[in-house]
Amino acid sequence: MPKRRAHKYARLRFTVQFLAFLVILVNPFLNYYLRFNFVQGWYQSLGVGKLWFVSPLEGMESILVSKTVYLPLLIGMFPPVLLALFLGRVFCGWICPIHFLSEVEDRLLRLFGVKYHRDYLRLPRRIFWFALIGEVVLSMILGAPIFVFLSPPGLVGREIMRAVFFHTLALEGVIILIVLGLNLVTRRFFCRYFCPLGALLAFIGGRRRLVVRRDWEKCKECGLCDQACPLGLYPSRDEGESYYCWNCGGCVDVCYRGALRFTWRD
Amino acid sequence: MRPERSNPKSASAVTDQGRRNFLKGLLAFWALPATAKAQGLLRSPVKVNHLRPPGAVPEEIFPGKCIRCGRCAEICPYHSIKILDIRHGVYAGTPLINVEEIPCYLCMKCVEVCPTGTLRRVRQEEVRMGVAVINRRQCITWRGVALCRTCYNVCPFKEKAIHLDQLRPVVDEKYCTGCGLCVHGCPMNPKAINIEPVYAFEQEENAQETRP
Repeated sequence: MPKRRAHKYARLRFTVQFLAFLVILVNPFLNYYLRFNFVQGWYQSLGVGKLWFVSPLEGMESILVSKTVYLPLLIGMFPPVLLALFLGRVFCGWICPIHFLSEVEDRLLRLFGVKYHRDYLRLPRRIFWFALIGEVVLSMILGAPIFVFLSPPGLVGREIMRAVFFHTLALEGVIILIVLGLNLVTRRFFCRYFCPLGALLAFIGGRRRLVVRRDWEKCKECGLCDQACPLGLYPSRDEGESYYCWNCGGCVDVCYRGALRFTWRD
Repeated sequence: MRPERSNPKSASAVTDQGRRNFLKGLLAFWALPATAKAQGLLRSPVKVNHLRPPGAVPEEIFPGKCIRCGRCAEICPYHSIKILDIRHGVYAGTPLINVEEIPCYLCMKCVEVCPTGTLRRVRQEEVRMGVAVINRRQCITWRGVALCRTCYNVCPFKEKAIHLDQLRPVVDEKYCTGCGLCVHGCPMNPKAINIEPVYAFEQEENAQETRP
């Protein structure tokens, strides 16, 4: 049996998340005090030099609601879509500031002795898709995109920017606290069932290349991975290859038999 | 045949009706301010001296097109652009310039970073955030009290957008960009010159005609 490297992905992921959070945390200061505008924005639209990234759902809403197409917007949406096509929901698992804050929350709770709690409220997973469709349809009816100003991942960036630029916070930041509070009921409750961006990325990444594959010869079906999954998936039932998995690697970490591992799907 | 049986039925129908009316009244009582408030949440924050950044699409599609990424506010070197919050309803997160506080210096940086085309890439002189309107009863020069020409002095398109007619300032809307430097400079309180966001509420076709 190969020697198990404890929390390999957990550490790597937390580092990546931290760096990703650092970008949106430090940038407003650089922009405001040093006028250093090379890197700009947050995960709704991130500009690095002349390179633009636009969050696919926000861009899609903008196109659908205004019923106009702006080519630079489409090009900005292209890299994230490509990432999701190949790697699935890795934005959610490895970059999203809400997931980072949730991880920090988890770590703090562990510090105070709360080791593991089961998910008190489980909903049907299909709600995810209805959240996406409902949100897009409602936006189109209202004529104003909803996710763009109420999305928790975007709000984190906007609140930081607002704090730096205008020395004030906005009321809608409460949504972030609510989302983090819901983690106490069910881990990643919002990410699991209600995040339209996550749903869109999951939809795009449905046929992704990178999946968590279970080696059924090594698997003893101990269920440790099912317990570890922050999304409440069952890697022991091959749900690591399902639409919903965000490739965080939590299950791969706990599998002491090495039965779960990241694989390229052909 | 029991006619007395229909009596309690109708009586209950009457009380039902009463209850229904009561509930209806309650609903109306609750719904009226709610709808009024909702209309406030859907009303554009653009008004006199409160303008969108340069090159903005008409207000009709602005909230739909803008993804609230805030990059225009981040890049604005003068911090003219403010980001609205949830008190402005669906306009939360959109950029707005209050020219009385900090006007737009037309550096055109926000236009370059807007990823959605909500701020169109226009040239400096093509910006039409609004039109400066002089209140001749308020302006001390027009009243003949003093010889102030601050608005003329600060105007970036001097002699074009604002020229002096017998030492009194006159705005030419053909050239006025609505940047608000004149409003910011005006020493009067309330301001004798104000930017009216006339282009923001135009129909899309007209807007494109006026803005090549």
